[in-house]
Amino acid sequence: MNRVLNLAAFNIRVLLSDPTWFFLSWALFALQLAIYGSLMSKLVSPNFPNYFFFYGIGLMIIIVFESAEDVGRHFVENAHEGELPYFLSLPVSRGGFLISQALYGVVNTLVKVAPPLLIVLLLWGNLTIVGALFSLLTLFLLGLGITGIMVSLSFIAFKAVDIYLAVLAGLSALLVRFSTVFYPLAFMPSNYSPVSVLSPLTYGADLTRWALGFDPRYLLNPILAAVVVTALAVSTLSLSARIVDKIIEGVKAA
Amino acid sequence: METLSLSKRYGKTDALRGLNFTVDQGEIMVILGPNGSGKTTLLMILCTILKPTSGTAKVMGIDVVEEGTKVREVMGIAFQEARGFWRHKPSSILRFHASMFDIDPVNRQDLIESTMKDLELWESRDKKFMHLSGGQAKRLETAKVLVQRPKLAIFDEPTSQVDLRGKRKIWDKIRELRDQGSTVIVATNEVREAEYLADRVTILHQGQLIVRDSIPKLKDAIAGGDVVEVGFEDPVADKLVEELKTLGGSLSLSPESTELRAKVSRAEDWVPKMTSLSYDRGAKISSIKITEPSLDDVFLHFTGKALVDQL
Repeated sequence: MNRVLNLAAFNIRVLLSDPTWFFLSWALFALQLAIYGSLMSKLVSPNFPNYFFFYGIGLMIIIVFESAEDVGRHFVENAHEGELPYFLSLPVSRGGFLISQALYGVVNTLVKVAPPLLIVLLLWGNLTIVGALFSLLTLFLLGLGITGIMVSLSFIAFKAVDIYLAVLAGLSALLVRFSTVFYPLAFMPSNYSPVSVLSPLTYGADLTRWALGFDPRYLLNPILAAVVVTALAVSTLSLSARIVDKIIEGVKAA
Repeated sequence: METLSLSKRYGKTDALRGLNFTVDQGEIMVILGPNGSGKTTLLMILCTILKPTSGTAKVMGIDVVEEGTKVREVMGIAFQEARGFWRHKPSSILRFHASMFDIDPVNRQDLIESTMKDLELWESRDKKFMHLSGGQAKRLETAKVLVQRPKLAIFDEPTSQVDLRGKRKIWDKIRELRDQGSTVIVATNEVREAEYLADRVTILHQGQLIVRDSIPKLKDAIAGGDVVEVGFEDPVADKLVEELKTLGGSLSLSPESTELRAKVSRAEDWVPKMTSLSYDRGAKISSIKITEPSLDDVFLHFTGKALVDQL
């Protein structure tokens, strides 16, 4: 386990050595909330109270989603820049290697999401320690689940990077649009809502909102959401562990 | 280290075809072969990065497929391409590598410092990897294995992109590693590197093992591989030439009959017999020049193709 942590720390040190991306992420969150969030909140306010709060949490979910995407891309970059064969030659199991990648993703996500979460909690949320911890746990599990999906998909990149990037872009668009990240299930047209319950972001977003004290009438059942988010993390990480062990090989050389 | 009927297929291409290969403990085994002969594929399987299509490979009795993590604990590899951690510094890369292999923390820094100085990397210790030259990056790749001192050390073309001075340093450090007890495998397509390093050589061609032995024995295996040019003070009598022919090899005499050119299997056996016979027949020898076949000749002999033409 010590080697797994060591490996994760090695990658995390690189991540933290350049804070530019974190500042950009926080700035984008503030900008998006200040302009788009406030305007949309005024537009929908008669029908949907406190949309600003709803939207703020949705933005956090987007940050988690994009951070998890980063882990998938980081994994593929490792392969193409030649670092993956080196990592695979180190004395850690393939599962341990995957855990180190996931830890890298978790730190990436938590650093990006912590200030926005703090702002949301301080300004609008139900500021309790339990609520804060539960929402962090939800974001953590959602991040792991999306990371699992992205790493599982990375085997496509070993055939063709262009196709991998196209799949990621398409999947991202679908998972975000067909979800409750920006609008509640109750307001969706009947032909949208059945598709939206297929997106893992729907469960992550609604569970976080529930934990932070949003009106539960507009949210999914929190128990169902917790089960889905947990199952997603476990199943996709298991799948990606299997893919790393059985399919992906660090280098193909003749 | 041994492989049994080891095969690796990429799509329709056979990179390795039923390879049976062994390396003895404490030796430097050089795998010589042109690009595409399967050298790197073999090394990648041994260090558990690639999985064989069929057959088995064991490192110190540990199966590389079944117990990959255990294999990785006893081996270290310097890759053909220097693996980039673009934003890391050489010293931090080596510190990380040493920590992953549980190198004693008390001696770790001294070991890293001395290895970097030996390989002339100390001045560049605080440069980022992306700012290193190709030769420096390659030396850093070698330094990882030297710091690690694994039981099985693998070097894939360790001196490509390295200048002549750097090559000699790397070769000496690899030999030092062997002398400290490591078993070493070096893959190369450079004949000079093989001649300098090898205790034994394995020639790979098109995924198959062609021959494996020590360099002197491989050279001796070429019938007529040694060329001996003998100068005589006076023209050689026909009778002596006929008698010399009975010693083996093929002989040709210069038009002036004062220079004899012999192609023999083992010059070290043939020359004493020739000098003895010449002395008995009163022929005075003025000079002897012996030319051994190179490993390129060995490769040509066993594969029918010149190694340089395959690169």
